[in-house]
Parts: sequence; structure tokens; C-alpha cells
Amino acid sequence: MKVNLDINNRIYETYIDADEALLGVLRKLGYKSVKKGCDTGACGVCSVLIDGKPTLSCQFLAARAEGHKITTVEGLGKDADEIVDAIVSEGADQCGYCGPSLVLTTYAMKKELKNPTIEKIKHYLAGNLCRCSGFEGQLRGIKRYMGVK
Amino acid sequence: MRFEKFVKPRKIETALKILKDDPGSVILGGTTFLRLSDKKYSTAIDLADLDLDYIIENEDNIEIGAYTSLRTIEKDPIINKHFGDLLPKAVEHIIGVQFRNNAKIGGAVFGRLGFSEIITALLVLDCKLQFEENGTIPFAEFISNWNIKRDILKKIVIKKNQGKCLYRMLRTSDADFPILSVAVSNFDEIKISVGTRPSIAKLSQEAARMINSDNSKIIEASNLIVKEFTFGDDMRASGKYREKIAPVLVSRALQEVLS
Repeated sequence: MKVNLDINNRIYETYIDADEALLGVLRKLGYKSVKKGCDTGACGVCSVLIDGKPTLSCQFLAARAEGHKITTVEGLGKDADEIVDAIVSEGADQCGYCGPSLVLTTYAMKKELKNPTIEKIKHYLAGNLCRCSGFEGQLRGIKRYMGVK
Repeated sequence: MRFEKFVKPRKIETALKILKDDPGSVILGGTTFLRLSDKKYSTAIDLADLDLDYIIENEDNIEIGAYTSLRTIEKDPIINKHFGDLLPKAVEHIIGVQFRNNAKIGGAVFGRLGFSEIITALLVLDCKLQFEENGTIPFAEFISNWNIKRDILKKIVIKKNQGKCLYRMLRTSDADFPILSVAVSNFDEIKISVGTRPSIAKLSQEAARMINSDNSKIIEASNLIVKEFTFGDDMRASGKYREKIAPVLVSRALQEVLS
């Protein structure tokens, strides 16, 4: 079926299978920052923003994405740089596989949490799994980015 | 989950007609659980254009549209105002924010899933479901009636009762399914539900009867839970372990609602 997808403010007219997940379509269109991890909705590495809300692209049907604004980390521009700098300055980035989804979720969290605390940050990021860093370095960087002492 | 055709009706009558005419069709919720199966359907029916994404308050009830996400319910001020932390607590540990932004309350309810935490919580509220074809059905009746399979859930209607209610669970890690979940309410009478046993949540009859007849019998009523419910084994815990945990969670919850 033919769909028009708004990805990072650019409209793509593309053909998809009716039951295809958004994850595969985004990667086919060149958005390789969107990673395939568990493919069961548990790890969070496929996260993108749908109308500004973090969403698992492995579970979100591409057919449903028409009419919504899809944002990948490529679409964040300087906002992404700021979050990446905060994480990297704590020596937190290792293999980098979970990085794009963590950056996207942190970006959405900053907009959503009015009075962030370390507990609220941990809770918000519970769906972002990292297999190699142990989370502590990332959390230090994200805490600083969120203005939490 | 596989399907050949994706449709997005603009009227609920059209959605129901497709569902009834085509036995191979399926209604899509958030496709969080449905997508894990390898089952093949002919047509997937998306309810996104039916205006079922809302939480509204009227004089007597709170109404939650079937297409409302679990994340919306978690954060909604109307829900928090009337039922304390009952519903937010029942959804806030489900995987992560990304998952809950997509998972829909209608899918969680209609699926009648054994691991559902929201079912445990809704059971202790005065709650009804409104379907397109079957009309209004009490929540507890729907949960135990598997004959309703080909209908469209439109909304969940919860009566604004005065009193305390709460949700408690035990899980070994954040974002995993719980080992056991318990909800208790104290409106006109005390209601106790126990879920993720790992089978679907159910309301207590005997323990509830005992605590309603004598509010001081918290320990005795909690211990009755073990006799009243069956507890099974899964990869998270054994039935024997759940039998030990259930009275503890129930007694703590009863103490809180009666304090």
C-alpha cells in the first residue's frame, strides 16, 4: 500500500506492506539511527518520536504513521548534540547502539517533565536498555542536561 | 501478527460491519501484544479515526475512550483526582514510556490477558464497558465471559465513588511483568482483586465477605485469599511463592484502605 510519511519534516511517498512495522520502513528509507533490538517491544532501541512522544517503532505499524510527525535522532539537530555532549562528557558512551533512542527519549523527557528528579528520570528512561554501560555514566550526563543536581 | 489489508474506518458502524462480515479480521489496539504472535489475519481494523481517545468527567462518572493510551491514563489529572494512584500505579511499570504511549486501554481490557495489571485495578472500581453491539456490560462480567469476542469496545465508564482505593504488586525488576498484583477499594463496601497469578485477575468473594462483616479481621481475611484463589507457576515465580506473597500484599492493602 502507498503511504505518505512525514519524517523529520520531509514527506516521503513510499510503498509498504500493510502489516509492516515502522522500524523496517525507516531503515529502508535510510534512517539507520533507528536500531533493531529485541523486536518485541522490550528494549527501547527502536524508539522514535511520534508527534513528539517516544514510541517503539518495532510495534508501531507504518500504515498507522501516516498523518503523524515522525522524528528520528537525525531530525533533532543541535538539540541532539547537546544531549550527546552531556553523555559523552561523562565517558558513558560505549558501543553506542542504544545511543540514538536514549537521546530521543531524553529530548522528549526534557519537554515533558516539569520538575525533574533523579527518580523521575530513572522512571522515564526505564524502557531504554543499555547492555554495556551500566547506566551510571549516562545518568550522570542526563542529570546534568536536565538540570538535576 | 500478519495481515493482508489495513483499514481505517471513519464510523464505528463501518468498523463493526467489517469485523462481523469478515471472520478473519481483527481490531487493532496498540498492537503491542498482538504483534508478538505469528497469527495471520485477513484485515486489520484501525480505530484511530473513531475519536475514542479521551478521558472525560461528567457528573457521576469518568469515561475513558477505548483508544486512550496507558501513558495518558498514567498522567491524567482527572484519573488522579478521583482514584488516587490506583490506575497510575497499575500501568507505570509496564515496560517503558515508549511502550505505554502506544498501548491502548481497549486492547489491554478486551484481550483479557493473564498478566494485565490494569484489569486487576479496574475490577475494584464500579466500572462498566460500553460496546457497539452488546451495549453496556459490567466490567467483572465481561472479564469472566469469553463469549463476547466480535464486538468493538467504545469506552470504559467508571463511577465516581467516594473512598479509598489502591494498587500494590510485587515484581523482581522494573519494566517486567509482576509476580503478583493486588487492588483493594473501600467505597460502599470493600473489594479485593488478585491478578497476575499468573492467570487473569479475579475479585475475591470469601475474603471480601469476611472483611466487610468485620473490619478487624484483616489477617484472617488475607489468609483466606490462598484458599480462594489458585496460584500457578511461571518463569517469574512458583505458585507456592505466590501463595506466600498474596496474603502479605492483601493485608497491607487492607490496612491502608481501612486506616
